[in-house]
Amino acid sequence: MKDFIIMDRVFFSYGNREILSNVHLTLEAGSSYALIGKSGSGKSTILNLIAGFLKPDGGTVTVNGAEVRAPRSETAFLFQDLGLFPWQTVEDAVSMPLKIKGRTDRLEAAVMELLVEMRLEGHKDKYPQELSGGERQRVALARTLIGEPDLLLMDEPTSALDAMTKEELQGIIIREQQKRTATLLFVTHDIEEAVMLGQHILLMNVDGTVSQLDNPYYSVKNAREELGFYDQCIRLRKLLKMEM
Amino acid sequence: MKDIKRLTQSQLAGFLSFLILWELLHLLLKTRTIPSPVETVDYILTVPGQLLRHCAASILRVAAAVVVSMLLGVPAGIVLGVNKTCKRLFSPLLYFIYPVPKVAFLPVFMLLFGLGNTSKIILVIFIIIFQIILSVRDGVEHIPPLYFKVMESFCAPAGRKYRYLILPAILPHIFGGLRISIGISLASLFFAENYATVYGIGYYILSAWTKMDYVQMFSGILALGLVGIVLFKLLDRLEAACVPWLKRMK
Repeated sequence: MKDFIIMDRVFFSYGNREILSNVHLTLEAGSSYALIGKSGSGKSTILNLIAGFLKPDGGTVTVNGAEVRAPRSETAFLFQDLGLFPWQTVEDAVSMPLKIKGRTDRLEAAVMELLVEMRLEGHKDKYPQELSGGERQRVALARTLIGEPDLLLMDEPTSALDAMTKEELQGIIIREQQKRTATLLFVTHDIEEAVMLGQHILLMNVDGTVSQLDNPYYSVKNAREELGFYDQCIRLRKLLKMEM
Repeated sequence: MKDIKRLTQSQLAGFLSFLILWELLHLLLKTRTIPSPVETVDYILTVPGQLLRHCAASILRVAAAVVVSMLLGVPAGIVLGVNKTCKRLFSPLLYFIYPVPKVAFLPVFMLLFGLGNTSKIILVIFIIIFQIILSVRDGVEHIPPLYFKVMESFCAPAGRKYRYLILPAILPHIFGGLRISIGISLASLFFAENYATVYGIGYYILSAWTKMDYVQMFSGILALGLVGIVLFKLLDRLEAACVPWLKRMK
């Protein structure tokens, strides 16, 4: 598989506080990666560096062979607080990325297709404040997917949802990522979610470096009903504890 | 439809209670300085054309001042909200001029722009434009930083940022500023229309006052109030059409 994201000897500090120290990371194209670690360990910083919102103090971040110096149009970011505009209906929100890019041919059909996939077609004229938490999350996800990105970055994509809605959204994320063969990198505090959605698990170490583990339970049907799934969760929890 | 009916009924009830209070005051004070509302309404009905002409002249002046203030004030407010250097440079000047009674500059405007409509409209512009600039600037500053990050993630060029983010976000603030501005500009007609004109509701009231014709004076005040109601209702309709999401949030 092709190396898609390469973080090479990356350093990053907020003022005097060093967050990332000599991070080496290589992520393959089309795979999904869960990034876990304790609060303040720099997980969101890694996401922001790859997205091009931040610049490293040292080292380089490369996506698809090009050094990241600013946000790239093929990268889509699902923010933890979603960032849905209160003045945009579901349809307006989902179509906005294509309108920004000037890709207005087949716009209506593409938007409608995605809304049907996300089971949002009945809500297309509603504003975010008229939707439930899960529906809002699906709108934000649809908005990130409409531009056919090759890289999906998600910051705690299901943190604000109840258990059932969370499982439903996790199913949608796996389905969409596999269908589009996009690379997925997401940050989560939820170990079960990391095991469920991450083909590989990236663990932020206390020294600001990152270690990588493979995850056999990724995308396994009814994984939560298998004992091994929980063994994997317990193993990860222990590793996380060692880093605290 | 039910809501509109209920709203109209409550507004009618409010207006009637105002007329009753006025009548009570008239009966209690027993002075010709406060004429009866019946007498005042009766007077309005005898000279409707004359009052309409005065109202129309005032509305035209206010409309011209509001349009020019919006055309200048909205872009200025956006620049101050978006550009930190501009904000640092011009905010002290804005804060200095904002509380100063602009009517004090009336002689200057009369000298510079003559005694005609231009100086009157410029006075009203000078009174309301700062309100509009500050409302718009505050509107831009209240946009959550996350929204800008969302636009950045879609690699939106500046024009699209204004189209999809900044302009819709400041619309409610523009309407808030407009509401205050219309109120202030109607009130400032007394100063703008007290020289070199024989048309305008401000002139009409002041002229009646100097003639000690209190029925005519109160008919002018009532007409001014009605003009205010009509303008605010129009603004409400316009706001509901331009900012539909606010209504759906309530």
